[in-house]
Amino acid sequence: MTIDVSPGVREWLLALADDKHLMGQQHAEWIGVTPFLEEDLAFCSIGQDELGHAALIYALLAGDDDAAIDSLAYDRGAADYRSCHLVETATDDWSIAFTRHWLFDAADRHRWELITDSSVPELRDIAARVDREERFHRLHAGSMLDVLLADDAAKQRLQQSASMLSGPVRGLFEPVTGETEAVTSGAASGPFADRWPAFQREIEARIGSVEWDPSPDQAARTTRSADWQPLMDRMREVIDLDLSATW
Amino acid sequence: MHTYEIFLKKDGRDEYRHAGALDAANDDLALVMARESYIRRAEGDRLWLVRRDNVIVADPDFVAPNADKPHRHHDGGAVAARRKALRAEEKMT
Repeated sequence: MTIDVSPGVREWLLALADDKHLMGQQHAEWIGVTPFLEEDLAFCSIGQDELGHAALIYALLAGDDDAAIDSLAYDRGAADYRSCHLVETATDDWSIAFTRHWLFDAADRHRWELITDSSVPELRDIAARVDREERFHRLHAGSMLDVLLADDAAKQRLQQSASMLSGPVRGLFEPVTGETEAVTSGAASGPFADRWPAFQREIEARIGSVEWDPSPDQAARTTRSADWQPLMDRMREVIDLDLSATW
Repeated sequence: MHTYEIFLKKDGRDEYRHAGALDAANDDLALVMARESYIRRAEGDRLWLVRRDNVIVADPDFVAPNADKPHRHHDGGAVAARRKALRAEEKMT
C-alpha cells in the first residue's frame, strides 16, 4: 500500500527505514560468529525483525511490488540514503556490536513513541507492530546488560564501547531536513532530538557517566561514512552477480 | 551458565514436546534466548523452560528390566490369528 506524502515526509520516512535496514544487516552479519550459539540466533533474529520493519516502511513509499521495494532499498545512490553513521559503522568487536544494539534500540524507542499517534494511519499500524517486537529487543539487551554489569571487566568494556559510539549515537538523533514537515503535518508528534536528554539520562543511569562526543558531520544525513560503501557492496553481493536476474 | 530444556506446544490438545536445550546465564536470559532460538517462526504458542538441574533422571539400570517383558505387549496378533483360524474352520464345515 503506497501512501501519498510530501518530499520532506518521504525523506523522514527514508531515514527511519534506512536506519533499520542497515542496523538489521549489521546484526545479521554476526550469524556464526557471536560469542555463543544462543546469542548467535538471538542477535540475528533481532536483525531480521529490523529488516522486516524497514521493509514495511519501504513498502509505504514504493508500494507492494517487491521489485520496487528492493529498488528503493538497494539501488539508490549514496547521497540518496538517509541513514545515520551509527548504523553504517563497521565493527568486528562483539562488545561494540552489542552496545550499539542496546543504544540503538533504546534510542529507537523514543523515536517510535513520537509516531504512535501519527496522522498517517498506515504509519500508526507500523508503529504498533514495531512496539510489539522491539520490546523483546530491549528485553534481550537489558537482560544481557544485567549480567554484564555485574562483572567489573565487562562493565568497563561496555563503558568503553559506549564512549567510542557516543558521537555516532548522538548523530542518530540528527534529523533529516524533512522532519520539520513530518512534525508539522502530524506524521510525528515532535522532533526526535527533543528526546536526547531523556535518552542520555536513561543510558547514564545504566552504565554511569559517559563522555558524549559531538556528532559526526552527517549534513542532515546526506553524507555517508567511510564504512557505508563496503557495507552496501556486501548487501548487494548477490544482486550484483547478475543484474538482469529476476528475483 | 545453566542448561535449560525447552518444551513447546501449539494451542489446542497437543501435548508439550521437547524441542531442544540451550545455555543461559539466568532465567530471564534463558526465556529471551528460547524465544529467539526456538519460536521465532511461531513453532509453538506455549513455551516451557526447565533447568536441567531440576530434572530427576532415572538410572538406565532402573529402566532396563522392563524392556524384557514381551507378554505385556498386546498387539492383537495372537487373537487375530486365532479368529482367522476359527473362520476358516467354519467355512470348512
